Amino acid sequence: MRRLTLATALLLLAPAAAFAHAGEGIAGGFVGGFLHPLLGPDHVAAMVAVGLWGAFLGAPAIVLLPVIFPLVMACGGILGILGVPLPGVEIGIALSAAVLGLMVALAARPPLWVAALIVGTFAIFHGYAHGAEFPDGADAVAFFAGFVIATGLLHLCGIAFGLLASWPNGRIAVRLAGSAIAAAGIVFLVQLA
Amino acid sequence: MMRMRAAFAALVLLAAPEAAQAHVVIEGMSGFSGGLLHPLLVPAHILALLGGGLMAGCQSRRDGIALIAIFAGSLGVASGLVATAYAAQEPGLVLLAATAIAGLGAAYGRPLPLPASAIVVGLVAIALLLDSVPAVPSRAETMLALSGTALTAIALFAFVTMLSVAARPGWPRTGIRIAGSWCAASALLVLVAQLAR
Repeated sequence: MRRLTLATALLLLAPAAAFAHAGEGIAGGFVGGFLHPLLGPDHVAAMVAVGLWGAFLGAPAIVLLPVIFPLVMACGGILGILGVPLPGVEIGIALSAAVLGLMVALAARPPLWVAALIVGTFAIFHGYAHGAEFPDGADAVAFFAGFVIATGLLHLCGIAFGLLASWPNGRIAVRLAGSAIAAAGIVFLVQLA
Repeated sequence: MMRMRAAFAALVLLAAPEAAQAHVVIEGMSGFSGGLLHPLLVPAHILALLGGGLMAGCQSRRDGIALIAIFAGSLGVASGLVATAYAAQEPGLVLLAATAIAGLGAAYGRPLPLPASAIVVGLVAIALLLDSVPAVPSRAETMLALSGTALTAIALFAFVTMLSVAARPGWPRTGIRIAGSWCAASALLVLVAQLAR
């Protein structure tokens, strides 16, 4: 009986067995990073909207937006990691879904630099949120690779759906999807108010 | 008394925090076989080989092959440095910086001047090997492990480079640019996270 008590006490003291935080180690870090954008509906809506808008605008936006977005997002992530104050991050993320969804719904075709500026500005807010919430115990490479890949895959989902805009009925479907994202963005904004 | 000592020793061992391991260690895997697996088990090294290979693959076929040779040569230079007992300061950070530059080169998607891409590829190779030096006392065992690491690194780098060189214009080339931007973004974030810690 005493042996059992001692064994239990020893097991409870074992630090390696106690993973108080999810997302530790390489696999945990990657899963944690990968799920980070996917578990936030505001992130998902905005990222899909970026892809939809890129596909709607056609070349060269369809190529440039998914290439530029992760790089600008990394700049926002760096601000988050360093703890540089950035006001209104959650509002910026919710607003990104509303504005980008609206752009798709209205089939807006601004000059490429304007589109890149809008998307880039919102990328800073998204990156900041991910960078600021980087868990201490996680493997940094695995976590950041996971969240960058997940974000990129959401763009690609948006692009894949946005390619339907080549057909008249598909164009309506894409604009409806944009309207739904814009509505979701407004709901996110109202929830924050 | 003996039982008490054993229990105390077990208690100390279990309560002791695990040694901070920067790299994954697999029991029974050491020497050449451990070195062979090393680049496949360290996420930063996979990222570096991917970023470097994608950038090299954005060059012409001839330059891509030249960059594979430069990569192999740079690994040889790094092995020579290790053989002379050179201990680099923070090679992991240099590797991340080089990976970020290589990723940006791939995201750019156009051929770069050969000297510029050669410097980046050389930096990736040297930093990768210096970051792979195992914590073993024997120099012979160190060199054996590093020769395994170098073999895997060359094979992976050459594979990614030749795959990228062969990519056709259109979606495959766009995919390379997107993957390059992912590598650059990840490496930049990790670099800053490690510097900030």
